[in-house]
Formats: sequence, C-alpha cells, structure tokens
Amino acid sequence: METSLTPQSLGQRGLLSDIRAFLAIIRREWTIFIRYPSWIIAMLIWPLIFPMLYILTARALSGPDGSGLAVFMKTTGATDYIGYIIIGTTVWMWQNIVLWDVGFALRQEQMRGTLESNWLSPTWRFSYLLGHTGPQIVSMAIFVLITAIEFGLIFGVRLNGSGWMLALVMLAAIPAIYGLGFAFASLVITVKEANAFVFLIRGLVMIFCGITFPIAILPEWMQAVAKWMPQSYLIHAMRTAAFSNAGVNELLPDLIPLLSFGTFWLVVGYLAFIWMERRARQTGAIGQY
Amino acid sequence: MSDFAIEATQLVKKFPARPGTGDKKTEGEAASSPKKKRWQFWKKEPKALFTAVDGVDLQIQRGEIFGLLGPNGAGKSTTIRMLCTLLEPTSGTARVNGFDVVKQANDVRRSLGTLLAGERSIYWKLSGRENLEYFAALYHIPQPIAKKRVEELIERMELKDRANELVEKYSTGMRQRVAIAKALLARPPILLLDEPTLGLDPQAARRLRELIAELKQEGHTILLTTHYMEEADQLSDRIGIIDTGKVIALDTPAGLKRRIEQKEVIKLEVTGWHDEIGEKLKSITGIENLITRQQGEADLWEVNMQAHNSRTAIPRIVEHISGNGTRLVNMNIVKPSLEDVFIHLTGKALRD
Repeated sequence: METSLTPQSLGQRGLLSDIRAFLAIIRREWTIFIRYPSWIIAMLIWPLIFPMLYILTARALSGPDGSGLAVFMKTTGATDYIGYIIIGTTVWMWQNIVLWDVGFALRQEQMRGTLESNWLSPTWRFSYLLGHTGPQIVSMAIFVLITAIEFGLIFGVRLNGSGWMLALVMLAAIPAIYGLGFAFASLVITVKEANAFVFLIRGLVMIFCGITFPIAILPEWMQAVAKWMPQSYLIHAMRTAAFSNAGVNELLPDLIPLLSFGTFWLVVGYLAFIWMERRARQTGAIGQY
Repeated sequence: MSDFAIEATQLVKKFPARPGTGDKKTEGEAASSPKKKRWQFWKKEPKALFTAVDGVDLQIQRGEIFGLLGPNGAGKSTTIRMLCTLLEPTSGTARVNGFDVVKQANDVRRSLGTLLAGERSIYWKLSGRENLEYFAALYHIPQPIAKKRVEELIERMELKDRANELVEKYSTGMRQRVAIAKALLARPPILLLDEPTLGLDPQAARRLRELIAELKQEGHTILLTTHYMEEADQLSDRIGIIDTGKVIALDTPAGLKRRIEQKEVIKLEVTGWHDEIGEKLKSITGIENLITRQQGEADLWEVNMQAHNSRTAIPRIVEHISGNGTRLVNMNIVKPSLEDVFIHLTGKALRD
C-alpha cells in the first residue's frame, strides 16, 4: 500500500524554531493571563492587604505615643518602618505567588488536558516552564510597582536609595526564586497535591527570613538556618538598596550568595524537571489527573 | 524509509499495581518466589506489577487506516501512548515512520499528528486561530508557512466565521474540529486519532468520518481507536482487536466477519428480565456469547446471542422467556456484524 502521496512534515529543526516556540509559549501564557479580569483586582488589593496586617500591628504595639517605633527603627537601622515591612512582605508574596503560579503551572495544564498536547510536540519541554515564567516576572514587576505607588500615595513611603539598585537586586534574585519554583513544579506533577509544601516553604520564609523584623533578634540556630535561605539575602539587599545610597559594592555581600543560591536552585530545578519527565514516561503521569 | 508507517514488536507495558491488584502469579512462579524471612524486615517486597500491554505486534502499512478496537481497559490507550512517546515501553520495540519511539522520540513526534484528549487538548481561553498559531510554533512550522496553513485549515474545518472567537464559546463539534486541525498543522505523515467522534452529534460525526476518509486519500496513515463498530467497519482497511493487553485478532473487517459467518445472531427485546433467564438461555445447545443491555431507564432489555442454528434454538428460547413476569417484545435474526465478531472474540460488548 506504499503511496507516492505520503505527506512530509512542515516542521523544521533548529534553534530558531525552538526560540519561536518559546516565544509562542510566553505569548499564550500572557494572553490567557489577561483574559481573566480578576487579576486586576488581585493586583490592586493584595499589595495593600497583606502588609497592612503588620503595619497596623506595629502601630498597636508601639504604644500610645508611638515610642516603640523609635526603638524598632533603632534596632533595625531603618528610617521608615512601613517601607521596612513592605519590602519583607513583598518578598514573601513574591515567593508565595511563584510557588502557586509557576509551581502549579504544569499541574494546571494537566488538569485542563492541554499538557499532553504540548508534550506531544517536538518542542524542548523545559520551555513550557520557562515560558510560563516570562509573563509571571512581568506581572510581578507590575505588582511591585503598584505596591510602591499605593504606599507612596497612602502612607507617604519614599525611596531614599536608587530604584535601579533595587531593580538590580530583584533581578539577581530571579534565578533563586524561580529555580525553586521549577523544582516545585516537577514535584507537583509527581505527587499531584503539594499545598502543604507551599505552606511549609512560605512559613519558613516568614519565620526565618525576617520579613518584618531583623534576623539578628532570632536565636543563633535560627540565624544559622536563615543563612541557607536566599530570601534572607534578598530582603536585606532590598532594604539596603531602597533606604540607603548603597552602590553595587555595598550590595555585593548579599548579591554573591543570592546569585550562588540562584545557580544552585536553577540546576536543582532543571534536574528535577528531567527526573520528572523521565518518570512520567515510565508511569504515564503526564496524562493522569 | 521503513516499509511500515508503524511497526511494534512484542510491545509490553507494565505499571506498578495498586495494593491487592496486579498480575496473578502462575503456580510455578508462586512456588519459586523466595519467602520473606522474619529478620529481613529491611528488604522490600518486589513491587507487584500490572501488565497493561502484553506483547503487542503491529505492522501498519503506509496510507492505511488501521482501527484498534477493544473494551475499556484493554490496552488501546496505553499502546497509543507508547507509540506517540508519552509512555516508555517496559520491553519490546516500536518504530513510527522508521524512528524508534524511545531513542528517536523527537523524530517520532515530528512525524505524528495526534488527537488524544479531543476538545480538552486545546486552550479554551484562546480563539481557534490563536490555538492553531500557537501549536504551529510548537511544531516548528516556519511563520509564513504556518500562517498559510492555519488559514487553509480554518477554511477546511469550516471555522472561518468564528475563528477569532474564544474556543470556550464553541460547540463540542467545533472544538473537536480545532483539535483535528491542530493534529493536521504540520501535515504529518501519520495520524493517531483516539475516539475522534466521541461526544459529537450524528451530523458532526458523519462529517468527521468523511474527513478521515479524505485524509487517507491524501496519503496519511491513520491509526484510529473508536467505540463505534460501524465507524471502524466503514473506515478501516484493517482492524486489530485488543483485549487484556493482547491483540487477539487482526484482519480486514470482511475477513473478521467471515470468521463467524456460519453463525446467526438472535436479537431479542424483553421486559421483566432477570439473570436466571440468561443462565437458562446459555444452557441451550448451540447458544453462545449472550450479551444483555438495558435500554435506557425503562424495564426493556436488549438480549443478543449467537446461535449455530436459530431454527432449533428459537422454540427453546421462547419457552424459557415466557412466564414469570418476563415478556418477549421483539425478536430478529440477523447476519453477524463486526460487533458480533468482537463479542465472539472477547466475550463482552465493546462498551463493557
């Protein structure tokens, strides 16, 4: 039954094809993101609600004359306690959103039924996770900008430092924050339910990384644990960049460990993905709900 | 290029079994397996395995429509998933378009167009056109060609008027057409269509069957799984029947039907059916493969059985059915269909 009509695939190999596929994943993700209008509400409300909890607690604990705040600022070296809290809570929210968003990206595709149809194409499979990250970073940048505008307008919070240095620190944190997200995404596809793990990680960040207090007040063993968490360096570096005129040299003690953790977590994230992909081929996990 | 579009040799897939399930051991295997000693508490018992596909051999010719039929859990989907590289075989080999499904997985994916999860395989928050443009990029089709191909398929699938609307606003039939267009985007030589007409209204299903026939004319090789016997009969050049992970028959539809052409099929419609009647009917000499199916919510049952000689069997059938609140409503004697071949081979209906 050999036929001369046998069609030839229109697909072409090469790096350019893979780059185009990667860009298509980013465009798809962004298009779907903006088609759920609820994101606008989340973007406007969340930056206010979560830090407000700590800001109001701080006011209540500072005493009727607010003298407690002076003690707090002396201990932390901060010039603005609200700015100090906002930076910690923003980092916490960033990691939290990445775990839910990037961490559950493949799982959501799996539940929707589209993961298999992506997996069946000849595109490099890690692109699906990487592509999801692009729009996530953009939406997170908008989130940070809205936080700055809202607290600037409502509470009069002002940056003393350089916005560029702040952006540099956040850029340096991307590999660590998203590398953890990649590793987590592979775990979620394997075990299906990993909510408890998100609660654990964000709980650790909350307690050990000093989102609303200086790490120096923690017991020594907790300070030792904090040194192994990239979020500790990120929070410290962001506070330094935002509220002092620190340049790159002053930020290096935080940037170097941050980038080292970033390299570590990216490698772990990629290896976890390879492991998950291999395991899925053996168990059929990609098509399972 | 390989002579065959798809070739599988002794393909086996085993999965870890859930507790209490798994393959039964033969007496010899059970006797030879070492007993766990009490002090070996750290040694893990070997994991129980469930064999989903058990030594499947397939040779599908280029340009052929090959129907793979089997009841639920027979191993059809596992076989297809191994052929399209979603699953790795436990043992055996498979080649698609001449490429090994394990060692040359990406070449296999380039050669295939797949319809696996039907309407769920596309993005409902994207339009039909956006879906096709997205998948064209994933299949590495250069942009100018992709643009032309997307328009061509939108036209062919009769989606032109609504191509820019979100897929969530489409009917099931329209979504299925987008999913098929996605499978055709890269003009792959081989198509794997898993239940392509499932959930479609009769008119949409007929249009899709016509399309599948056209695709064969264009030179595509098609591996089709379906629950609809008439569909398999009408479309397939050859049919493989798979049950408990094994291919138990493989022939042309006519060849399969010839296997039981000396038999007749007695179809009854009965009210007040109970299982004891079934046992009595099975005891009649020359009656085999009795299958019952309730017709909707009403107390009306369809009873099908195969007989070597209906003339001698009918008086005894009527005798067993009459009385005890059971009433014979209708009776027909028909020539065996493909479904009867299936029942003859597997002992169950396709939808069991």
